[in-house]
Amino acid sequence: MPGDHRRIRGPEESQPPQLYAADEGEAPAARDPTRLRPVYARAGLLSQAKGSAYLEAGGTKVLCAVSGPRQVEGGERGGGPAGAGGEAPAALRGRLLCDFRRAPFAGRRRRAPPGGGEERELALALQEALEPAVRLGRYPRAQLEVSALLLEDGGSALAAALTAAALALADAGVEMYDLVVGCGLSRAPEPAPTWLLDPTRLEEERAAAGLTVALMPVLNQVAGLLGSGEGGPTESWAEAVRLGLEGCQRLYPVLQQCLVRAARRRGAAAPP
Amino acid sequence: SHSIPVRSSETEDLRVDGRGCEDYRCVEVETDVVSNTSGSARVKLGHTDILVGVKAEMGTPKLEKPNEGYLEFFVDCSANATPEFEGRGGDDLGTEIANTLYRIFNNKSSIDLKSLCISPREHCWVLYVDVLLLECGGNLFDAISIAVKAALFNTRIPRVRVLEDEEGSKDIELSDDPYDCIRLSVENVPCIVTLCKIGYRHVVDATLQEEACSLASLLVSVTSKGVVTCMRKVGKGSLDPESIFEMMETGKRVGKVLHTSLQSVLHKEESLGPKRQKVGFLG
Repeated sequence: MPGDHRRIRGPEESQPPQLYAADEGEAPAARDPTRLRPVYARAGLLSQAKGSAYLEAGGTKVLCAVSGPRQVEGGERGGGPAGAGGEAPAALRGRLLCDFRRAPFAGRRRRAPPGGGEERELALALQEALEPAVRLGRYPRAQLEVSALLLEDGGSALAAALTAAALALADAGVEMYDLVVGCGLSRAPEPAPTWLLDPTRLEEERAAAGLTVALMPVLNQVAGLLGSGEGGPTESWAEAVRLGLEGCQRLYPVLQQCLVRAARRRGAAAPP
Repeated sequence: SHSIPVRSSETEDLRVDGRGCEDYRCVEVETDVVSNTSGSARVKLGHTDILVGVKAEMGTPKLEKPNEGYLEFFVDCSANATPEFEGRGGDDLGTEIANTLYRIFNNKSSIDLKSLCISPREHCWVLYVDVLLLECGGNLFDAISIAVKAALFNTRIPRVRVLEDEEGSKDIELSDDPYDCIRLSVENVPCIVTLCKIGYRHVVDATLQEEACSLASLLVSVTSKGVVTCMRKVGKGSLDPESIFEMMETGKRVGKVLHTSLQSVLHKEESLGPKRQKVGFLG
């Protein structure tokens, strides 16, 4: 503010004090590489959204909401052969719009929204993983909006967001071929480069490479895959993908139970 | 052990333009095409035309990595490339490609960032890699990664010295000789190989028509030693786990061949020296 002499002006840039702290040397505890953290999932908790889900795994907390389908002006979309099962032709199929947001207090450092490139990349990853599962042909000229909000990042944030988004879509009653389950992995640095399933934030920070897989468990199809880092040869990445897919299969019954409970709750709340 | 894929009569390793499933189109690479940059390269892969310029500027190192320089990527999808990029249409694709480039370079071995440090915590070299998409003819990621590698090979960063005088104030001195520069080692810079799933087979280097037929692709970033630095599934469809493993192996195999031919072309072009005939944009 120009000419404001009463307020003490702080520095323009601020950093958290941990940056200047001596390295704690806090190595993550040794653990079984295939352990999955216990998951708490609940669907149908937001009253204003068509479908919603909250997922908590270890320290990671994600809230996801779905709205739509909303009519959208398609622009010049021609005809074309109609899909099987009475679906709209390819040019008139519905669209899935995904948004991924991090709360400013989610990570170690405060990140003011808009987060820039990283959030756009994760939103695109969400969209690419959810599209194979949703029957967009049944929503011609419509748009479904999925927004994921990461409240706290305790490791495997993208995987948790994927799972929560799929639960929210199912809760909204959107027609889907299958649920999408996400699982995160990270590769510990040398020495002992093993792939760890469902890493915590500490393990992710020290990792040499990270991978997120999204699986449609019943169809056994990989809906999404995103990984980077010094993972090593292709055999190592293949082993990681297999481990991730196994983790997704193990997570599936928990999500089924969550949806059943939400449906029961909705049925009990409906007026007789 | 690999399972032999089911072959149908039309897809027996023969594509519309006569190539095999693992063949690239003819690639033309030319470096040092733009004079105002520290390094530049132009790559033509079929109808895809990419121009990359690298500018080295001095900046402050990032707080978490005080002894290293860094790279910044920017991708511009020009409206000339395809009519869909008119106005802001190309921004989403540009951000996607830039994010993928950040991802493939996001590890310790791709580029020696410590060599870009001038004085720890104070000065470092920042390489601004700007990619221009001039024409879109399919297989953008591969062409862009080849162009980025060629441009980094061509980059010449001037040598600077930090002089400290008696009062402790520092001064930066640029070397007088314009040819006194540091070169980057691009041995471990990865290249992207995109494998498109069409039917039961997967193809490398898809044209626009082939990309339209493919529902899902796997993008693998491989170094010359066969180390994979990034993997990403692209597209609206889903992939079978077995296909993913097959595609990774193909990607590694094709990537190694791509690297050896690119290295030999770049070294040959450099050995021609300043007297080589520059083709530029008129060829």
